[in-house]
Amino acid sequence: MTEAALPAPVAAPAVDRERLTAIGFVLPSFVIIAGVFALPLVLLLGVSVIDANGLTFANYRRLLGTPYYLGVIWNSLRLGLLTTIIAFLISYPAAFALARAHGALRSVLLATLFLPLAASVIVKAFAWTILLRSDGIVNETLIALGIIEDPIRMIFTETALIVGAVNIFLPFMILPIYAIVAQLDPRYAEAASTLGASPIVTFFHVILPLTLPGIIAGVALVFSLSVSAYVVPTLLIGEKYPTLATTIAKAYLLAREPGFGAAAGVVLLGIAIAVVALSARLSREPK
Amino acid sequence: MSGAAPHLVVRSISKRYGPTTVLDHIDLTIRRGELVTLLGPSGCGKTTLLRAIAGLAQPDSGKVELAGRDITHVPPHKRNVGVVFQSYALFPHLTVAGNVAFGLKVRGTARREINAAVERALSLVKLGHLAGRRISALSGGQQQRVALARAIAVEPDVLLFDEALSALDRKLREEMQVELRRLLQDVKATAIFVTHDQDEALTMSDRVAVMNKGRIEQLAEPRELYLRPASLFALNFVGLSTRISGTVLAADNGKVDVETKVGRLSALGNFQAGSPVIVAARPEQLRLGEQSEANSAAGRVRSVVFQGSRTLVEVDAGAGESLLAELSERDGAIPRVHDEIRLSWPVTETFAFPMEAQA
Ligand SMILES: Nc1ncnc2c1ncn2[C@@H]1O[C@H](COP(=O)(O)OP(=O)(O)O)[C@@H](O)[C@H]1O
Ligand SMILES: [Mg+2]
Repeated sequence: MTEAALPAPVAAPAVDRERLTAIGFVLPSFVIIAGVFALPLVLLLGVSVIDANGLTFANYRRLLGTPYYLGVIWNSLRLGLLTTIIAFLISYPAAFALARAHGALRSVLLATLFLPLAASVIVKAFAWTILLRSDGIVNETLIALGIIEDPIRMIFTETALIVGAVNIFLPFMILPIYAIVAQLDPRYAEAASTLGASPIVTFFHVILPLTLPGIIAGVALVFSLSVSAYVVPTLLIGEKYPTLATTIAKAYLLAREPGFGAAAGVVLLGIAIAVVALSARLSREPK
Repeated sequence: MSGAAPHLVVRSISKRYGPTTVLDHIDLTIRRGELVTLLGPSGCGKTTLLRAIAGLAQPDSGKVELAGRDITHVPPHKRNVGVVFQSYALFPHLTVAGNVAFGLKVRGTARREINAAVERALSLVKLGHLAGRRISALSGGQQQRVALARAIAVEPDVLLFDEALSALDRKLREEMQVELRRLLQDVKATAIFVTHDQDEALTMSDRVAVMNKGRIEQLAEPRELYLRPASLFALNFVGLSTRISGTVLAADNGKVDVETKVGRLSALGNFQAGSPVIVAARPEQLRLGEQSEANSAAGRVRSVVFQGSRTLVEVDAGAGESLLAELSERDGAIPRVHDEIRLSWPVTETFAFPMEAQA
């Protein structure tokens, strides 16, 4: 009787132990994410819909119902979209150049990508203000060369904003694309060409689809970084280009309207989550 | 076009990578419908020659003609050459059918025609039931077939296989060799296989080109290649042999007498007296005992390897020379290790090669 029952009790703890081990591994990160991320999110959501009188959607009505704040949302989206598109157009060929480079050149190029990540965004944005000021290096040089007489207004323009944002977020587009391109087997393109595909057809039907996962990762990263950027618009364009991020800061720091700031935060988060979810969906393998 | 007309002509192609000459004035003519194998050790330039034919590598000099057209400077996508890569290079973002349809799609073939051609190609390789599968969900053997179907679907003028079977396990590879040959003959394809596997070369091809250091040493039918190797390299690379070094004593009209450490031997070959040579014979030519008008040598049996229908006997003939004989039970008892035996073989099956040609 006892013998017959033996295998089951022996097997069961083994499985349980495995599961316990797995839970043990997951637990710390779960606690951290729950405590540091999920809980504040729930609080944020709560603050945005609850005021002294109870449940209210006034904050959202104000945000999504006033032309001014719709403009703010549009500013954020515009910053995100322009930065992402331009960063992609620069990064895609750059990633191929990087993958084709060999030896010392490749190391130098990779270092120029990685090193700026070590500097804070504030430092980089501030560096751009020094470059683009009316008495900045760019204007001084152009005047010295006699190309212009009076300084061109560069700082506090949308151009300055986009140039700075693209520069600062560029590594987050190049690196994921480069990671895919570097692994891309050149045989795919060769196979396509022997099957009769011209270089252009090969690019659109083979290279582009095969590098899509890198593009999607880069786009998701750069868009969520730039749509929510705070330092970059604050330093490079300022008051006249309010974004969701600067609006949140103002609501908390100046206007003392935590409910409204929370609502803006939720909308910004919603935009970022939508983009990430969409890209996760796109990068899933076709069935 | 008649069956014997040259279909693919490679004229004196050369290619260097830096200081190394990878292809050294290669000439190769292949008839329509012929299956030819490039056989040679790793690094001898087989892949480079194939890539030059496909247009994936530009030769430094020489010409390539295909189906009566000079394609030396034609880009790969306008050559109509099919390639089956060693790694298959199937497009992972497309299904099996999508891969097979690719070549027709980029040619702008009508959808109805594409569907029919894909179905035909997949049924040829017996994969019709997997048309909708993803590539990552296929076994190695199935991927090999898809790569083949993709290449033949566009009906290329010549099909090139670069070690296309080498990733398969042995049993599957041997099955595929036979099946592939039959299939290519059925569709009347002209094909070049690249391999370093002599069995594959002998099984699959009408003719074999033995390559060494960027040159074709011999281009011959498998049987002739085995029976009449043109060089020591070809002799060594295809099949087994007994090889004994010596010096030519006397030469007479295509025949030489050679002094070796195992005695005086006669062989076919044109040399001047005094030339250092290697005398060689295939193992199945060696018989136990004496024969009249034949070469012979004696020694002690070093090893006996039973291989089913035949037994390989290696004999230590002294002075560092050894004899390799392939004996059959039918012709008498097989000697045992340490037996002292004498072996003999016909002069007409003995060849002399120049010593310095040894690789
Ligand atoms: N793209 C290349 N650059 C430099 N050397 C190469 C290149 N391709 C091939 N080689 C060299 O050419 C020689 C022949 O190569 P390959 O044609 O691949 O030989 P095989 O296919 O017979 O093994 C090798 O020594 C290889 O290192
Ligand atoms: Mg090779």
